Amino acid sequence: MNALISNVLTQVCITLIAVAGIYVLTGLTGMFSLGQAAFMAIGAYASGILVIRTHIPFFLAALIAVVMATGIGYLIGYPVVRLRRDYISLVTLGFGEAIAALLNRMTTLTGGASGLTGIPRKVTLTMALVSAIIAIALAAFFKTSKYGRQCIALKGDELAAKAMGIHVTRIKMVAFLLSVALTSYSGVLYAFYMSYVDPTGFGWKKSADWVIMVFFGGVNSLTGSTLGAFILSALPQVLRSMQNYRYVIYAILVLIILNFKPSGLLGEWELTPRHIRETVARVRNKFGAKKEG
Amino acid sequence: MSLQVIINGIATGSIYALIATGFALIFNILKFSNFSHGATMTAAAFVAYFLVSSKGMGLVPTLAVAGLAGALIALFGEFVGFRRILKNHSAPTYFFVSSITLGTLYEGLVTIKAGSNFFNFPSFFAEPTVGVGSLVISTSDLVMFAISAVALLVLAFIIQKTRIGRALRAVSFDRDTAQLMGIDSTRIIQVAFVVSGILAGFAGVFLGIKYTLYPTLGSLVVKGFIASVIGGLGSLTGAVVGALLLGILETILLAVLGSGYSTIAVFGVMLVFLLIRPQGIAGSNVQEKA
Repeated sequence: MNALISNVLTQVCITLIAVAGIYVLTGLTGMFSLGQAAFMAIGAYASGILVIRTHIPFFLAALIAVVMATGIGYLIGYPVVRLRRDYISLVTLGFGEAIAALLNRMTTLTGGASGLTGIPRKVTLTMALVSAIIAIALAAFFKTSKYGRQCIALKGDELAAKAMGIHVTRIKMVAFLLSVALTSYSGVLYAFYMSYVDPTGFGWKKSADWVIMVFFGGVNSLTGSTLGAFILSALPQVLRSMQNYRYVIYAILVLIILNFKPSGLLGEWELTPRHIRETVARVRNKFGAKKEG
Repeated sequence: MSLQVIINGIATGSIYALIATGFALIFNILKFSNFSHGATMTAAAFVAYFLVSSKGMGLVPTLAVAGLAGALIALFGEFVGFRRILKNHSAPTYFFVSSITLGTLYEGLVTIKAGSNFFNFPSFFAEPTVGVGSLVISTSDLVMFAISAVALLVLAFIIQKTRIGRALRAVSFDRDTAQLMGIDSTRIIQVAFVVSGILAGFAGVFLGIKYTLYPTLGSLVVKGFIASVIGGLGSLTGAVVGALLLGILETILLAVLGSGYSTIAVFGVMLVFLLIRPQGIAGSNVQEKA
């Protein structure tokens, strides 16, 4: 396969994993995090430093990094799931920017602003693709599970969900931690694909980009979110020749969707056998009706 | 801690106050953070730079053009990013997404014109510093402080004493009821965006003078967020108090800890505020129900 296409696809797959996490957090539970990219940074740096310093195998380092990020996620999540929604985005924003500043500062460990170099390149397209499929399957499984349904309930009305006996803070915490684990894993893959990480790429803009992708494709649909992430993360790469114009085109596309189809590209549509059958039936009906008329 | 540090802190804080009030004004009405505010600042400052300052005109025309540009950009943003969402009664979370996208759009447009270069405003003042006793105050700080203070006082007067200010407060309090009382809430929301755009234009020019002008200057809007969190989201007085405190705190931390750790410490202070007193210093009028 063409090296350029393979490069773009690998990066898209890594983004898809993070966006699966955002879907669980924002799409299902309705929490906005502007610090999710910091967990990606933690995953990337922790695994990278472990492999460079201690020479432990890649898979072990990846596991430790994800567990570590989830642990930090628990500490941050503890106050976060108890706060009102608009404060959640601010707390996570503060946390994310503080982590970015910290990575910049801890020069001996992280290489500071010049970045962490010399991470061995272990990630291939196949591996990224398989990881992305597993991550999306995990999110799909979560959505249809008891937890997912409780998430959707509390997203609609937290007070009513509480009254129905849903343990709101615990469910929010489960969703938050799943999201953190997925995001930090995408960070691990990122580090071992790029073989270089620096703190600039993990600010709140990155987290915001992921949220935009979810809304673009359809905030209530995992299929939509995945599609949105696929289109929007591939777009700037495809438009690379147009350098300066790519983010303008990107922004205009998203604004058009937000204005004219606020539920996103796919709305509530999911890629399940039932939905496919229904859609096929609807198209056939339309077609049949035209023939009769 | 000398008086000098506090004076420098107040000078920085007065710019943050401009950012934070522009931000709080929109938060008041839409009940959601306007993340395009930073990029509006940058874009307005760049318009003023290319149209006026680079041709050798002084500070006053620069500010006037920046204010006008900020107002027009904010008006455009209201129309493109918020009007339909408001009409559709979509969840306020959509404001979040569309405001960030608008920010990306403005930043992209500025980058097309300016590249990723740094620009310097010409020095507007003949005397770079003013000495008061043993204190040395930079002239630009003094002028910026004075202009910010006047702008904020005018804003306070408009909001508290005029018809349009009363309408603004009514719409902030309850949009639907205000509409029923005969207030054109769309028009009032436009007014709020225009005012916040003017403040953004001023803040953009001041930040450009204090640091340099570059396309991602808008990321300094985070200081505005922090200031309004400390002061209390949605409270204009709180935003000003929070901004001045933040300016002083930052200058002190900068002197004690150096530039890297002071950033972390400032975010730490914000987190502590959110956890201990989420309604901020001023308290807030935002409903606490989920």
